[in-house]
Formats: sequence, structure tokens, C-alpha cells
Amino acid sequence: MSSLGGGPPLDEGDLPAVTPEPVDIPDRSRVGTDEWVSQAEARRTAQTGLSGVVARAWERLPAPARLVILIGPFAIFPFITNEGNLYRYGLITVIYALLALGLNVVVGFAGLLDLGYVAFFGFGAYLYGIMASGHSGHHLQAEIAIPIVVVATALLGLLLGLTSWRLLGDYLAIVTLFFLQAFVIFVNNANGGLNDFSYPFVGKVDLTGGANGLDQIDPFNLFGYHITTTKGYYFFTLISLTLLMIMLYFVNGSRTGRAWRALREDPLAAEVMSVPVNRLKLLAFMFGAATAGFSGTIFGAVQSGAFPGDYDVGLLITIYAIVILGGLGSIGGVVIGALVVNGAPELLRSSANARFLFYGVLLVALFVAMRPWYKPVVVFLGTIAFGFAVHGIASAVWSRGTEGHIQGGGRLGRALEHWVLLPNNPGSIAGWAYFALIVAALVLTMVRGWWRVVVLIPTLYLASFVWENKLVEQVSGATRLILLGTLLVVIMNVRPSGIFGTSRVEIV
Amino acid sequence: MNWSLFFGELVSGLTLGSIYALIALGYTMVYGILKLLNFAHGDVYMVGAFIGFFVLQWLGGALSPVVNGWIAVAIMFAVAMVGCGALGVGIERFAYRPLRNAPRIAPLISALGVSIFLQNSALLLWGPQFRSYDTFDLVGVKSYSIGNNFFISNIQILTISVSIGLTIVLALVVSRTRTGKAMRATSFDRDAAEMMGISIDRVISFTFFLGSALAAAGGVMFGLVFGQIFSLMGFTAGLKGFTAAVVGGIGSIPGAVLGGFLIGLTEAFATGYLPGGSVYANLYVFALLIVMFLIRPTGLLGSPVIQKV
Amino acid sequence: MAKLLELRDVSKAFGGLQVIDHLNLHVDEGEIVSVIGPNGAGKTTVFNLITGIYHVDAGEIVFEGNKVSGLPPHVITNRGIARTFQTLRLFLNMTVLENVMAAEYGHTKATVVEAMLQLPRSRREEKRIRQLAEEKLAFFGQRLAGYRHDQPAYSLSYANRRRLEIARAMATNARLLLLDEPAAGMNPHETHEITELIGKLREDAGYSILVIEHDMHVVEGISDRVVALDHGVKIAEGLFDEVATHPLVIEAYLGVRAESEAV
Repeated sequence: MSSLGGGPPLDEGDLPAVTPEPVDIPDRSRVGTDEWVSQAEARRTAQTGLSGVVARAWERLPAPARLVILIGPFAIFPFITNEGNLYRYGLITVIYALLALGLNVVVGFAGLLDLGYVAFFGFGAYLYGIMASGHSGHHLQAEIAIPIVVVATALLGLLLGLTSWRLLGDYLAIVTLFFLQAFVIFVNNANGGLNDFSYPFVGKVDLTGGANGLDQIDPFNLFGYHITTTKGYYFFTLISLTLLMIMLYFVNGSRTGRAWRALREDPLAAEVMSVPVNRLKLLAFMFGAATAGFSGTIFGAVQSGAFPGDYDVGLLITIYAIVILGGLGSIGGVVIGALVVNGAPELLRSSANARFLFYGVLLVALFVAMRPWYKPVVVFLGTIAFGFAVHGIASAVWSRGTEGHIQGGGRLGRALEHWVLLPNNPGSIAGWAYFALIVAALVLTMVRGWWRVVVLIPTLYLASFVWENKLVEQVSGATRLILLGTLLVVIMNVRPSGIFGTSRVEIV
Repeated sequence: MNWSLFFGELVSGLTLGSIYALIALGYTMVYGILKLLNFAHGDVYMVGAFIGFFVLQWLGGALSPVVNGWIAVAIMFAVAMVGCGALGVGIERFAYRPLRNAPRIAPLISALGVSIFLQNSALLLWGPQFRSYDTFDLVGVKSYSIGNNFFISNIQILTISVSIGLTIVLALVVSRTRTGKAMRATSFDRDAAEMMGISIDRVISFTFFLGSALAAAGGVMFGLVFGQIFSLMGFTAGLKGFTAAVVGGIGSIPGAVLGGFLIGLTEAFATGYLPGGSVYANLYVFALLIVMFLIRPTGLLGSPVIQKV
Repeated sequence: MAKLLELRDVSKAFGGLQVIDHLNLHVDEGEIVSVIGPNGAGKTTVFNLITGIYHVDAGEIVFEGNKVSGLPPHVITNRGIARTFQTLRLFLNMTVLENVMAAEYGHTKATVVEAMLQLPRSRREEKRIRQLAEEKLAFFGQRLAGYRHDQPAYSLSYANRRRLEIARAMATNARLLLLDEPAAGMNPHETHEITELIGKLREDAGYSILVIEHDMHVVEGISDRVVALDHGVKIAEGLFDEVATHPLVIEAYLGVRAESEAV
């Protein structure tokens, strides 16, 4: 910038006496200017350490390679595991990933908060069931039924999306949430019975089987080929997932993808830059709905039924957790998210496994969150020492405190019996301890530095106490959701853009 | 014309509506200041109901309370309101404050997380079974009547009047006190308020305290009126509370109350008069919401938002 | 010269405040018109009315002979009017190139399905979109040159962000550009560049331009005609020298000399 260097000094208010450097001289990278400055932001937000190395390596890989890395293990999985595990860890994960991918378009690409999303999932399952089940008496072949379901669900998405026509994002959230409630109420009662509507011409019809669900759904009959095994459905879903990922990757780089992202960034500016915002919102809704409907047909066929209890807010939270965890807008992240969110709770089903998971996560979180390395070590050793001390004192002074038994057994469990306080009738003590743990966690966020280390030790011990005496009781139920809820809050605090998401700048 | 049914549903609707109004107030205040949909608010309401229940047990239970029934009720209210007020402040501190400058969706997801956490903690600690307030044993339920068709019970009178009373107190706080003024300033323009020396953190904490305390009062009232509380009661109530806030005009205190009564009446009359009544009542509320959005998106008493571009 | 844009008797009020009052304004083809006036005069509101963000209460806005007042913003943009924002509204998390490419939505056609299946029409159009975007960015020389294309918009300097907004507006294939304070916050060197740039936009690229500006150096340097607004009313119109010395304009900016100040 020559006006900073040579030339006569400028008088206030004068235009520069020296002609500024012509704009088309090739820019040289100079320290303090241009390229170096423009990369400052990138340097500042780059991830450090191991995760940074991995992240950068990942970004350098070409897209097809990334796809293979993500999908490859899934393709091999059926050959190295048994039927049960394939179903629980494999098929459900892939179905959830498919669902999450659709939600990612609505929330991650277009930035719309759709809290009724799983209603489309249920709709897909039920509609498929109406067209192909022993319950309804119709037996359409899959290649006819599935496209019908997809189109119908897309139309339903269109209808719901129309309510978003002029709504601010938060209002849309409530409307869609209510839609989900309405859906659940409807399917619970549309069995031609007492509470059902009487339709014109046909009177009361058993559409959904009510609270008992729509049973005897046919397995897929694709052009005469019946898919009846878990492996069959697994590969069908996996191939669909892969195809959808590829197609979304292309969409992301297309005019529609850019328009969606512009809509997410700044709807007003997008509208003025020729983007028909409302039409694109509808398109996103329809796309998401269609994906959910498609996933629904698979789920219905796999379960051989559609049951109202499956399509509730709990599932909604799960799918949201997957999308958030994987990173809003990240196609590959969804797959990882599904693995974590579905795999981990499955691990939780047995107390022994859950225990490993719990302490493992605590340990990992400790070492990842606390720098430098000696702090977590201090905390770890300190907590162990603290625990033994408390246990020792308790066994001397308060006999009831150590008479209980660890639930679920396992080697870790037995070792813990000598460390954790296990009153033989935890009852309300556990309740108060839970409360105390929450308070302790709050206090932790308010202190800094070495105080944190000090507070952390009894907190961890308390956490262990609460786990062994209360949380293990309901690992597959309430506990799982408690952990999920905590996970959501923590992730939002630590990394609002998700694991694979890129950190975003927002206009507030 | 079945007047008995009409008045019955009217009183029912007003009672229900006053509970929804209390929940709606919390939503509307928090949304007005933070533009945040506090999903966890309904669960704070639930916690309030449970605190009331446990206080009652601590006082000896409905059958043999240590103090006079009505005094017990007053203590239940007080403890629940303060307790939930503190809970609300804690939630804000932990789950929302760090996210004040994060992308819009982050606090929403965080709120969702808190909601699940609270619901399932209640499930874990207190079990899925219903707990009973035993209002009949505690204070006795007396029914008053006007003519042959209009009946109202003392509990219903209590609910409606406490609700209106608390709303008036809230309105006075917001319009007459310095803190109230600070709250209004913050909801108009947070940065400007901060530059005028208002401690945003304290204002927001105070708002959460008030909103949560009101929700707790609603929870205790629900227990008194309907007798039974359970850990999942926060979800639908919260939803309806938010609908009430939106229908009445989000950010408007009288709007929240109006909306609450409207929702309550809709639910009651739908249950009484429309086919499939009680089961589909929620659906009718939903329909009302949609209609409201289509006709008047800013709600009945809300002011249209002028976007400065 | 044909009248490209015409505001006929346009009025707009917010609540009780009359922001624009029976305004008549026009831009001829190939003209550069500047709108000046103190803050609150309603200048940005005029832009918002033209682009359809606000609806006129009375009067009409006509572009190329067709009425555009009342149309949704994206349709107006497709008709040929594009703008920049006083406070900069870029798509910050998208790259420089994507920001410009996004604005081409209105004159492109490939559907979602075509993109998903990577049909030839979609691929060809993508190439054209990219080419056009690069062309528009090239207008700014090395400032927004090659290596910058894939950087996120939030990493750009302030001046470059302003340039990017202009490039983005250009990508809509508009014929009329509305520039809202393009030189705001710029140092003398950058201001001079912008002045030259606006001239270049008309000479080399054939745009007609309506500019809101406070910096009188810029206004003087670019304008064929100047319109002065105050409190939503046009108080002067003409060549720069005429308007700059117009008593009403001076009064609007500086106020009226009070009698007692003579001491």
C-alpha cells in the first residue's frame, strides 16, 4: 500500500496526492497485510493438539475416501458379529443415521427448528403398515408402497411447513412440537373404537390399531424378493444411507444447498439476494419429511409393526442429539453421532458395561478437559486416596455405610466395593447425594484454577457414590436419558457446533 | 341449554387457565429478555409440585399435619417457590449463561437437555407413580353455589385468586421497582442496558427466579386442585403454558394471563362439548395455536416487531 | 434517457411516525444518483421500500415500466434491482465465492433432484455459476482474487467485506444497484478506490446506480444528480453544487442560525 510509504504527507481532508497503487498489480504476501492477516482467523480457531491433527488430516482427504472410511466399518460389521448385536448396534444405528440425515437437512442446512420430526417417521411406518400388513389386509409390494409413502410424507411435510410461512424460528419449534403430540394422540385413538372420529362415507375405521399398534406388517417384498433377515434389512438400509449421503453431498455444493445455507445465515439478506426463502423452507421440510418417511417404512418392516410408543419425544431427543453431536450440517458427522448416541446407551444395558462406560468417560473427560497433564493425574490419585480414606472412616464409624453390595458385579464392580460407600439401604441418602452432586457441579463451574482441582476430588467421589447407589438402578431407562440430557448441555457449552461442525460466527 | 355443564366447564377452564397463566408468565418473561424458549420451564413447574408434596410429608402428611391445614398450604407454597426460584437461577447459570453469544440453536438444545435431565431425575428419584396431595384431608373441599347451576369450590377460588394476585404483584414489581425497570430495559436492548450500568447477569437471574417461582406456585396449585402429581406432568403443561404465552403475545405480561385463561377455557370447553372431548382436547388447543399464528402472529396483546434493517 | 426506476408519490409510516412522505424519485438508465440527508431522513427506508422489505402505504414504485411495489423481495431482485446493506449482511460462514454464487439463485434453474443425481444440466449450470461469480469478483482486482475465494467471509477485512457485498449484488444480474453507504468506515485511500469503483461499475459494466452516502467527496465524485431528503421529504434535487449550497439542505445538516448567537 504505497500511500503508507512514499509520497508527500497527506493534509487532513485531502485526497492522497500520490495515485494509489493500481489494483491489478499481483499481490505479494506481506507480513502484516492481506493473506497473513486473512488467515489469522483460521489460526485462532484451529484445533490444537491431537484432535487438531486428526481434523486437518480428515479435511485433506478427498470426499470419496472419507465416505469409504465412514461406511467401510459398517459394511464389514455383519460379518464379524452375531445377529443380536447386528440388530441392536448395527441396524438401529443405521436407521437412526438415516433419520438424522434428514433432520440435518432441515436443521443443519436450512436452520429450521423442527421438533415434530419423528412424527414423519411414525407416519411412514404406519402408512406402510396400512398398505402392507396382515392387520389392514392389504399387501402391496415394497417397490410400490415405499414411493407412495415417501411422496405422501413429503406432502405432509409440505402441509406442516406451510405453517412456517411467516414464523420466526422459535414459533415454528412449538408448532412442530404440538404436531408431534397431535400425531401421537391420533395414532393412539384411530382404531375405530370409542374415541375415534367417524369419517364421512366409511364411518369409523381401524387405521392404526390404537394403543396396541398396527401389527403384522409385511416384510419388504421388493420385486418379488422378500427381505426377511436382519442382515438383509441392514444392507438395504446401509446402501440407502450411503446413496443419500452421496446425494446430499452433491446438493450441498449446488444452488439449492447454497440457498439453504444462505437462508440459515441470514434469511433477510438471502431473500434480497434472489433466494425465495419461504419456498426453500418448504423444500427443506419436505426433504426431511420424505427421508423420515422412508426410514419409517424400514423400521415398520423390521419391527413387523408400528407402535405409538416408539414415536415420541424421547426418540426426537435422540435424533437431535445425533445431529448436534455430529455437527449441524455435517453429513459424515451424522454417522459418527449415530454410533455414539446409539452405541453407548446399548452398552449401558448391562450394569457392568455401563460401569465401564461411566468411569471411562469420566476419566477421558478429565484428561481432555484439564491441562496441563499433571492436574488430571493429581485429581485421579487424589480421588482414589480420598475414597479409601472416607471408606475407611465410614467402616469404622458408620457400619451401615458399607454393608451394601455393588449392583451388577463385574471385576471393576468388586474392586469398587472397597472404595465406594455402599449403604445397605440407600433410599433417601442417595436422593440427597444426587442433589448434592448437582450443587457440587454448579460450584465447580464457579471456581477456577487449583480450587477446581480441590473441589473436583470430593465431587468425583460423590459422583461415584450416586452412580453406584442410584443411577445403576435404571441404566436402560431414566439414567440413560439423564446422561443424554447432560451430554446435550455439556456439548452446547463446550462445542456448540458439534464434533464435526465448523465453528460459526453469528450475527446476533 | 345445559347451564350446569356450561358453568362447570367455565369454572374448570378458569381454574386450569390460572395455572397455565402462571407457567406462561415465566415463559414470556424469559423470552422477552433472552429470546430463549426455556423448554425446562415446564419441568420446573413439576419440581415445584413435588417440593410441595414433600414439604407436606415433612409436615406430617395430609391426614395429620403439624400445623393447621391452610398454614401448611402456605408453607408449601413458600418453600416450593423459593426452592424452584433457586433452581431456575441455577439452570440459567449452568445451561444458558455460557451460551449467551452462541448460535441461536445452542441454548435451545441446552434447554432441551435440561428438560430431559429434570424429567428423568424426577423419574429416577421419585419413581413413576402418582403422588397424592390429599387436598380433601388436608384442608377440606367445600363447594359454594350460586343458583342451581353454578358451583365453585374453595380450592378453585383459591387457585384463581392466588394466580391473579401473583400476577398483580409481578406487574407491580415490573412497573414500579428499579429492578423491574432494569428488566424492561434489558428486554428492549441488552447492550444499551448494560452500558447504562445495569448488571445484566443479575437482571436475568432475577427474571429466572421470578418466573420459576411462579411456575412452582402453579405446580402446587395443580396438586391441590387435581390431587395427583407425577414426574412427567411438566411436559404437556409446559407446552400449553408456552402456547398461552404465544397466544397472548410473547413478552406481554397481561398477554400471558389472557392466553393462559384462553387455553384453559378452550381445553375445558373442548372436553365438555366437542366429540372425543378429553382425549382430543390437546388437539383443539393445537388448532387454536395454528389459527392464532395465521391470523395474528404476534399474539393478542403482543406488539408487532419492526425489524430495523 | 428512459426512466429505469421511478418512485411515484410514495409514503410510508411506522406507527404514528411518517417516515417517507409523498416522495418522488427517479433514476434514469445509466445514471448515478446519490441520496443524501441527515440520519433519520429515511434514506435506508427508501431502499427497503424499493427492494420490497417494507410495503408502501401509498404510491407506487415502477421499474422498467412495471410496477414492483408489493412484490416479494426475491421477485424484485429477479426483476433487476440489487442492493448492499448499510450494516453489512454477508453470509459470514460461507466462503467468498459461495456468497457470490448464492446470489445467482434467481436466474438459475437446476432443481434439487438434478443436483442429487448430478445430471448434466445441473453440472453445466454449476460451471456457469462459478464462472460468473469469479468474473464478478475479478472486477475488484486482486482484492478479492483467487486465493481468497475459498476463505470464509468472516475472515475478510472490513473494506473487503464491503466489496464482497457489491460483488454479491452484481451476481444477481441486476441492472440497478442500490449501494447503502458504500464508503462508510473507510480511510481516504479506500474511499478513493470506492469512488473509482462506482464509476467503473457504470462505465465498464453498465449499471445504473442509486447511492446513499454521507461522504461528500464521494458524492461529488460520482453523482450525475443528487437528491436530498430530510424527515422523509425531498428537499432538494439537482447537480451536486446546487444541492450542496441549497439553504434547506444546509439547514437540515447544520440547523438554523439562532438570533442570539450573533453576540
